[in-house]
Amino acid sequence: MLLHILKKDLKRKHSMNIILLLFVIMAAAFLASSVSNLITIQGAVTSFLEMAETPDFITIALSEEEKSDIDTFLKDCAYVTEYEVIDCHTIMEDEIEIISCANDPGRHKYEKGNTVCIETVPEHLMKVFDQEGRLFTLKEGEIAIPKLQAELNNLQVGDILKLSCGDKQREFTIKLIVKDAVFGTQFMGFKRLFVSDQDYEWLYGDSMSVHTLLYGVNYEDKDAFMSEFNQENFQVVSSVDGGTIKMCYVFDMLIAGILLVVSICLILIAFLVLRFTIVFTLQEDYKEIGVMKAIGISDMGIKGIYLLKYFAIALFGSAVGLILSFPFEKLLLFKTMANLVVQDVESRAEINLLCAAAVIFVVILFCYSTTGKVKKFTAIEAIRNGGNGERFSKGSLLCLHKTRKMPPFVYLACNDVLSNMKQYLVLTVIFCMGTLLILIPLKAIHTLKDKNIIRSFNMQPASAFIDSGNMEKYIGEKDDTLLISDLNQVKDALKAKGVEAEVWLEKEYVVSCYGSDPERLCNYYTSQLIGKEEEDYDLIEGKLPVFPNEIMVTEKTAEELGVGIGDYVYYQYPDREEAFLVTGLYQSMMNMGNGFRVSQKAVFESQYLGGLFVIQVEPVDDMEEEELKELLHQLFPAYKISTGNEYISSMIGGVLDQMDALQMLLSGVVLSINVLITVLMMKTLITKERGEIAILKSIGFSDQAIKGWQSIRILIVLGAAIFFGTLLSEPLSQLSLGPIFGMMGAPSMKLITRPFEAYVVYPVIMLGVTGTAAYLCASSIKKVDLKEINTVE
Amino acid sequence: MNQLAVKDLCKTYIVNKRPNNVLRNISLNIEEGEMAAIMGPSGSGKSTLLYTVSGMDSATAGKISFFGKEIEGLSAKEMSRIRLTQMGFIFQQMYLLKNLTIYDNIVLPAYQADGGRKNRERINERARELMRKLGIIEIAENDITEVSGGQLQRACICRSLINQPKMIFADEPTGALNQQNSKEVMKELNRINKEGTTIMLVTHDSKVAAKCDRVLYIEDGSIKGEMSLGKFEEEKLRERERKLSGWLLEMGW
Repeated sequence: MLLHILKKDLKRKHSMNIILLLFVIMAAAFLASSVSNLITIQGAVTSFLEMAETPDFITIALSEEEKSDIDTFLKDCAYVTEYEVIDCHTIMEDEIEIISCANDPGRHKYEKGNTVCIETVPEHLMKVFDQEGRLFTLKEGEIAIPKLQAELNNLQVGDILKLSCGDKQREFTIKLIVKDAVFGTQFMGFKRLFVSDQDYEWLYGDSMSVHTLLYGVNYEDKDAFMSEFNQENFQVVSSVDGGTIKMCYVFDMLIAGILLVVSICLILIAFLVLRFTIVFTLQEDYKEIGVMKAIGISDMGIKGIYLLKYFAIALFGSAVGLILSFPFEKLLLFKTMANLVVQDVESRAEINLLCAAAVIFVVILFCYSTTGKVKKFTAIEAIRNGGNGERFSKGSLLCLHKTRKMPPFVYLACNDVLSNMKQYLVLTVIFCMGTLLILIPLKAIHTLKDKNIIRSFNMQPASAFIDSGNMEKYIGEKDDTLLISDLNQVKDALKAKGVEAEVWLEKEYVVSCYGSDPERLCNYYTSQLIGKEEEDYDLIEGKLPVFPNEIMVTEKTAEELGVGIGDYVYYQYPDREEAFLVTGLYQSMMNMGNGFRVSQKAVFESQYLGGLFVIQVEPVDDMEEEELKELLHQLFPAYKISTGNEYISSMIGGVLDQMDALQMLLSGVVLSINVLITVLMMKTLITKERGEIAILKSIGFSDQAIKGWQSIRILIVLGAAIFFGTLLSEPLSQLSLGPIFGMMGAPSMKLITRPFEAYVVYPVIMLGVTGTAAYLCASSIKKVDLKEINTVE
Repeated sequence: MNQLAVKDLCKTYIVNKRPNNVLRNISLNIEEGEMAAIMGPSGSGKSTLLYTVSGMDSATAGKISFFGKEIEGLSAKEMSRIRLTQMGFIFQQMYLLKNLTIYDNIVLPAYQADGGRKNRERINERARELMRKLGIIEIAENDITEVSGGQLQRACICRSLINQPKMIFADEPTGALNQQNSKEVMKELNRINKEGTTIMLVTHDSKVAAKCDRVLYIEDGSIKGEMSLGKFEEEKLRERERKLSGWLLEMGW
């Protein structure tokens, strides 16, 4: 008998049962994909670096003399467990050329962007992978290039490059675009291209040019090793430890963090929706439960019917949701974690399976607790839908006759939302989460795209940036004469064209130094401006260094060295020590937030010069950036000239593209969720309100007006959710993005929002898409027969 | 003049793939200002007839003409407009929107009809006047859960009259009311009818039907007979009731 009732129920209430089924499918798909994503994302960077066998410490040396000294040190150092040295060839501008580029046939000049080296495919430490995360080999005539280099030069697999060294030259076909765990990120100013052993030997085996030596070291005691290494004061170009390499993935971590939040939101949405639907559908069944009680069916019997029904729906829905979770998960993960090698989705199927099982369990749990109330009701209370027949709260909060000019269907929508706020709460929370999922990443993007972001990269804003492509030439010079002469050449050339301009660049020195603890040595870059008087950096506290013995320290380095304003930082040279008074604290996202800045009067020996930034130009009088760029391009056709925005974009361009892709994906996901929830909610409400719809039809409301009533309710809820989401986005953005920018070295980063895009464009898109979905879905009111007026309770 | 003209009306439902002919070739006319009652046993097709001739349900075959306009050919929008401005409906159950006050339920169709929203003051005056006449002005701001069934039904009558319809369709308007409330509702319907509104009502109650000008008896989807009682006069009620009872017995009631 009970099974017969159940069979009839499934058939008769097919609308509500289908809605419940759809919500269960959605919940299972969201939960399974999100939990699985959470697990993958959390360890994604670590596991990628482990896969690549990233050493604890990497240092790059340029000279063969230095090689024997470092080798001896590493062999003798008690804390080193293993080390490897990789021989590479640093290529000059004229040693690489594009022969064929399918995306840009006219392109022949290869933009290096960073220091670029050629080496063979590593087999032990610092491994590289193809796009699918597999190791690879290269044959003669084949070359593999990292993703960022391919993007910078618009190259793809199949394009041809020519490498030359002295009088030797050979053409190479790009076989792979690779993922380089150690040097693949934006923050690494060193990039590797890979050729076969035979090609490398033929091209560079007997080269007289200086080889670059890439050391990978694993140690057992970081502090002890670093202290000993720094005390040796090797002339190395750059050194990084594993922690810093991991920090270079901060943008991927930012993306992972956003995905993490998305996953948590999706899980919350899944449970909210499930609970709402189960409570809602069961409330619809109260009347029948009451009738069954009245005719003497036991509480357990009644409960059994519903538990069985919900179990059947949950089982089927979860199975479908489980299948859908795999493509959904792939969509979220692989589109956004493009720089990492992530575990294949299918290999974690058991997690998805567990989540699907959890959905079944939760459905049964919600059903059990909701039907539990039935026990407390008398038969007649159940028939009255759980009420006792009395109503003390006011049903109508708005008065139609006091609304003056409001059209009745708009009034009905407003009154419904105000009178049944609890019913619309779930929808509001879901829409609000969607708004936050759009606004928070948008703030990150707007901040990174802002012109002033350059100040956070330890540079001053400028109208033009000149990259001669051969900035390394200044490094071997004994003083700044050549550099100053080149800066003056730019200045004079502009002056000859009637443009007065300031021309400057940033030099970076590498000298070991310490703060409060002489044992705690570090060798972060020390920046120094040359060519411009006024200095404008991201100062947090204190003042800029003015005198030769003054220094400014980043907040992060100050903390690491245990120094503050008024303390001293001691630079250690083989023959002496030099003290610098800390005058200020600043922030910089360069070198992961570590660094120093000295005044232009400070004197450093040229041998400690570790690098130079590009030449910056700022006209004294107002001038359009594009105009200046064009002029500089005419004056220096061989140089790469960028405007401010172009330079920022080239510095963090890949990240911005990735962030833009994430933003698009998130917007798509949020809009899809909004549409899905709206459609299901509308179906639920229309099923519940067939009687009311029939009343309105009977008194002459047109279908258009009724559709308006139904869809405006959703828009009111969405509007409120956008409002609350916008309010919450400020503190939540600071809370979520602040620490990430802090990790990057800019803890006091002021988040930028472009109000039109954030508060007009996106809300209008959300309202438009969701409103259209609601209106189209409301078309089903046409099917409501006037005779269904009898279903009004 | 015929306000409602029905010719060869058929209505067939398909139940379990079998046709169920609920109305069979019904033809009838309701004249302007008339108050006609439809009677018949349960399942005879009374309510279906009312819903079909009022355009609330579609006919399978036949012609329905409302003021000379065939309603079967009208679009959903045109039909809504006619329901809004020229027809009024009263049901056995008091179907009102639960989130609105009594007053707002009454003015709702008028506000909807007032597209330009320029006549709201006049609508409010008419609503108050109607409510005063039907004795429910004191419950205007109440919720629908706070008043009695009789008051609710009178509110439904007010709502049906707010747009000054030409015809009212009432499906057992006193079916859910006690004797006293039933009397009061019928008194109002008679008064409205006297003021010129045509009424077609379905009832099981011979006392209600006795207050109508004409009674149509329907059985198995066909009109079996009709009886004209003439214009209602309170003092002749007993006589009308007796006459009607006798006739109903003849019809097999």
